Amino acid sequence: MKQSEQDIPLHTVGWTVAAMLVAALPHLAEMPLGLAGLVVAAAAWRLAAAHSGWQPPPRWLRLMLTVGAVALVVFTLGALWGRRTAATLLCVMLAAKMFEMFRLRDLRMVASVCFFLIATHFLFNERLFYLVYLAAGAMVAVTALIQIQRYEDSVLSGTTVRVPDHRRLIRQGALMVAAALPVALTLFVLFPRLAQPLWGLPEQVMDGRTGLSDSMSPGSIANLFLDDSPAFRAEFEDQPPPPQERYWRGPVLWHFDGSTWRQSQFASRQPAIPVEAASDSIRYSIQLEPHEQRWLFVLDYPVNAPPESHISLDYQLINRRPVTSLTQYEMVSTPDFLDMPGLHENLRRQALALPSERNPRTLERARELRERYPDDRDLVGAVLRWFNEEEFFYSLETTPTGRHGADEFLFDLRVGYCEHYASAFAILMRAAGVPTRVVTGYQGGDWQPNGRYLLIRQSDAHAWTEVWLEESGWTRVDPTSAVAPDRIDQGSRGAIGQSRHLLDTDWLRNLRNRYDRFQHLWNRWILGFDAERQRRLLERLGMPDTRPGAIAAVMVVALAGVIATVMLVLLGRSWRQTDPLLRAWLRLQRRLQKAGIRRASGETPLELLERAADALPDHTVELQELAELYGHARYGPQPASQVQRFIERSKAFKPGHTGEPARLTGV
Amino acid sequence: MSETAPRRSARPGQLADDLERARAAVNEVIVDKPDVVDLAFTAMLAGGHLLIEDLPGVGKTTLAQALSLAMGGNWQRIQFTSDMLPADIVGVSVFRREDETFEFRPGPVFANVVLADEINRATPRTQSALLEAMAEGQVTVDGQTHPLPRPFFVIATQNPLDLTGTYPLPDSQLDRFLLRTSIGYPSAAEERRLLVEPDRRNLLESMQPVLDPERISELVDAAAALHVADPVLDYIQALIAASRAHAAVQTGLSPRASLALIQCARAHALVRQQDFCLPDNVKQVFPALAVHRLQPLAESGMSSEEIVADILAHTPVP
Repeated sequence: MKQSEQDIPLHTVGWTVAAMLVAALPHLAEMPLGLAGLVVAAAAWRLAAAHSGWQPPPRWLRLMLTVGAVALVVFTLGALWGRRTAATLLCVMLAAKMFEMFRLRDLRMVASVCFFLIATHFLFNERLFYLVYLAAGAMVAVTALIQIQRYEDSVLSGTTVRVPDHRRLIRQGALMVAAALPVALTLFVLFPRLAQPLWGLPEQVMDGRTGLSDSMSPGSIANLFLDDSPAFRAEFEDQPPPPQERYWRGPVLWHFDGSTWRQSQFASRQPAIPVEAASDSIRYSIQLEPHEQRWLFVLDYPVNAPPESHISLDYQLINRRPVTSLTQYEMVSTPDFLDMPGLHENLRRQALALPSERNPRTLERARELRERYPDDRDLVGAVLRWFNEEEFFYSLETTPTGRHGADEFLFDLRVGYCEHYASAFAILMRAAGVPTRVVTGYQGGDWQPNGRYLLIRQSDAHAWTEVWLEESGWTRVDPTSAVAPDRIDQGSRGAIGQSRHLLDTDWLRNLRNRYDRFQHLWNRWILGFDAERQRRLLERLGMPDTRPGAIAAVMVVALAGVIATVMLVLLGRSWRQTDPLLRAWLRLQRRLQKAGIRRASGETPLELLERAADALPDHTVELQELAELYGHARYGPQPASQVQRFIERSKAFKPGHTGEPARLTGV
Repeated sequence: MSETAPRRSARPGQLADDLERARAAVNEVIVDKPDVVDLAFTAMLAGGHLLIEDLPGVGKTTLAQALSLAMGGNWQRIQFTSDMLPADIVGVSVFRREDETFEFRPGPVFANVVLADEINRATPRTQSALLEAMAEGQVTVDGQTHPLPRPFFVIATQNPLDLTGTYPLPDSQLDRFLLRTSIGYPSAAEERRLLVEPDRRNLLESMQPVLDPERISELVDAAAALHVADPVLDYIQALIAASRAHAAVQTGLSPRASLALIQCARAHALVRQQDFCLPDNVKQVFPALAVHRLQPLAESGMSSEEIVADILAHTPVP
């Protein structure tokens, strides 16, 4: 019977702890195991404490726990900055809070911080799934807050604290989240957009995945084959180009050091001849997943550069900053274009350079071929025929090669992935005196007939070459197509013909494609809703002035309207549901609490008001009157006549904020 | 409490005023103990009996006398002694030689108000004669039943410390008394008044009856009809339940005790001139009602008083 004031029952604590765990869970998966275990252990301790009525640990121990936890975070993660560390720190601090979460105020604080914690997941991952998770997490946190309030109300009003009907609680939580949706929607549509996102710092957006890099060495593209995640999506104004035309241009590599191909320094220079739009130009838009690099993928040859980006000399599209959040851009590409009719001497030298004393057998073969085929075009054709007719295999299973990689590949192994063929072909060509460069990017893509867009995955990464020919300029030559035409027609999966992993079944692929459709819509309409789209939408809705200031003003007005409407609907429900007299009484108690008069447990309402009348001499008469009214309204034979008067009088009662600050300690 | 309690305002008739005058009259004699006086009236209006347990000299007898006087009707005082017999209380049948019949001579218990002074000095046999009369409202002598007058109200006093040669009432008998209370010392200022002012006995002598048996019956009826709202019923049930659940209690309060509690709360409200019952009424009569009914566990180390205070402090008031 004898209860400590700190004994908040398990059902109230339980919801708060649940909110914390749900909010922390995705972070836990990314944390060092020890830290994650610590967080879970702290939550478990708090639940056990609520169950068995343990008291909080002493102050010094709590302090030590907190300091120790922070030290552990710094020690394990090695730094005190960065998003991951900040999120981890937040989780760990919340866990430490478990040890002093023994007052309603603390519970409330933890439940509120959960909203923030769960929102931080969007710093790491903007996928659709997390929206669902966020909604669920917010619901749990709201439910925890509701239960805390319910508990406090029953303590304040002196009614018995009952075990809540959890299903009803969850319904209430869901209702609250649903009520927040109109507000969220208003904010989403009208909140003034920044041209650049606030976050998106160049730090691990990829979470361990690699993506296409700015250089190419043997195996670098083959590694991507296992990565099924989307690289980007493309929508076309008309039909998409046929599979063999779907070359998505990425980094163009000029410099070869014997094992690795790299970009050239002059990539940032402007092209000599701008590409013109023509009748056969392809118009499309791309949603690029963040890949932490600066280039944007395009079909050959880009006519326009989206804002904040430029076209380089070798027709790469390069963004001003690394792409760290989903980026959407509109493109026009003209496939028929003469790239560099005349090759400048400098460039020619770069396009022919080879490291000395490497791959002697390849050089020898190049010399033989050159003698046989003096014409560049014939030479290219001859090498492709060689790849095609002799026993060359296209496979992921490659053996690492040594100093003379191209020699081993061309004459001994003859098994390789696209980067091997592209690299060997380029070396061969350069040795024969044909200016050649390697282009990396993606090739192909899954056409999604339902969503009418092309999904390009990381596994579609590809490497090919361009040779410079008189009159044709830079011309695309894909040696892989000579070895494995399927790779080009049916995509990488068709060419390799093996399951990448156990779960790589048709059924699962269909499911993934279907999910990707939602993801696509999410990207397009939610993540891709930037300043420009916002402006267009508002103009279509008939808003004359779409400057940020005007949008903000409209937002404030609309927000007030939406909130007022939601409140009216909700309040209408709750006014009907709960006893107005009890509500007024609770409000009166809260006001007294602010004035430093807290109801003791077992104190009757009249005793409380009498005590208040003594303590607040300025309000004695008023409080005595309130006491009499409340007695009649709550306990009298004809309460109805008094209820309204009590409500009005208690509303008018406003004691000054004096005395000690109110502390909610469960009484 | 009495400052802010809702006043009984619109009730017609003299009844309420008479009660208030009787209360005022008793308070005139018993200085500084309005709560005890109220409890005494409560016991009477709830149709029960009152046990006053305190040290000698704090005014037990004076209170009982003042109550008896204020209530009008006839009253009797029985000073209990160890050689007293049941017949000394209930009366005897006497053989009348003239008409050769037995005539019943009623004992001192036949009165509207009986002051049973130092009840623990009598033997258990004598005590039980009184307790039976209290419980039944009638007396049976030689096979003949004699109803006691209505209303019938016993105020018993008992000295808890002076135990030599006494027979303290057994626990099972204690709950024949609806309420048990003590008086305690007056405050310094009130004690000064006691010293300065004329002897209380003079006041008693000059005291005029304010009520009469008929009005008391009406008041008892009025008390029984007083409005008790649901939250107050909730509170009563919560208190009773808490007494049963308390860790230091051997046996909790019985349903009879909860009936007594609501009746006392009503009577208390009437004494306080209210139209309806407040949780405050329940709270104020609860100790007097519960302390002598609760059996604390010996090993708990808590007294009944402490348990009751604990229950009141931790039962939320709806």
